[in-house]
Amino acid sequence: MNELQSRTEMSPRHKTVLIVEDEILIRLLLAEELASAGFQVIQAANADEALRVLESSVTVDLMFSDIRMPGTMDGLGLAERVRSTWPGIKIALTSGHLPELPAGAPADLFIPKPYQPARIGAALHDLLGSGTNDLN
Amino acid sequence: MTSTEAGAPSAATVETLLVVDDEVLIRLAISDYLRECGFKVIEAASAEEAIVVLEQSGKTIDLVLSDVEMPGSMDGFALSAWIRTHQPGLPVVMAGSPSRAASAAAELCETGPQLSKPYDTQLLIDHIRRLLGTRKASPAATFPDASQSGITPLL
Repeated sequence: MNELQSRTEMSPRHKTVLIVEDEILIRLLLAEELASAGFQVIQAANADEALRVLESSVTVDLMFSDIRMPGTMDGLGLAERVRSTWPGIKIALTSGHLPELPAGAPADLFIPKPYQPARIGAALHDLLGSGTNDLN
Repeated sequence: MTSTEAGAPSAATVETLLVVDDEVLIRLAISDYLRECGFKVIEAASAEEAIVVLEQSGKTIDLVLSDVEMPGSMDGFALSAWIRTHQPGLPVVMAGSPSRAASAAAELCETGPQLSKPYDTQLLIDHIRRLLGTRKASPAATFPDASQSGITPLL
């Protein structure tokens, strides 16, 4: 079968995670782990790339973003924007500089760095209610 | 398509690709297509990121597929020159436009780990065009293509 499956047509049981992380080595490691955990993974290097993806026809179920990033917007600004524009997207934030989220920060989950990439998959599945039992 | 091969990979199996493109939608469409063909794909948003992957990730990269025009201090040509100096023998394929990147990906899939392409190159090109077309504020697309008259080709 040679049918093009656009992301919007992918099996709904495979959730799509948008990773926003400016450090390439962290990003690629995380992408590999989350793909192994059964997610469709999209990689963005900064908030601008993340917004480009979000504004396209690509379906995103969850955004996992670093807070401190260079560019026009950091992770908190990006989270605010996602929450107001795309309220259905779950948001997980991570930071190596903050021990916890600032009060009122728009996120469903906070994961401090350093984290074990292998354990992020389970945490994100929990957040989405999409454990491996749901994947067939 | 400009193709620069720093060394013949005839004896080596190409399994892991490094895709370098500063346009995230193109990068993800091309990368996912190549994954469907059975390749492992690492994505870089810039020549600088590509070099970090090549120097520090510990991953074995078999071939680099890179956009030509990229912002920052290094474009695709500069990346290719860096690779020739620091990792001679690593093949670099450069693509100056999304449709050329799609053609390059299709060629790679012809002899990829899975011997069949997941879908036609034209479907991939159309997919990329649709993705780019749904952006709220999209700059003028410059894809050299017979069906888009009046558009200035990049390469």
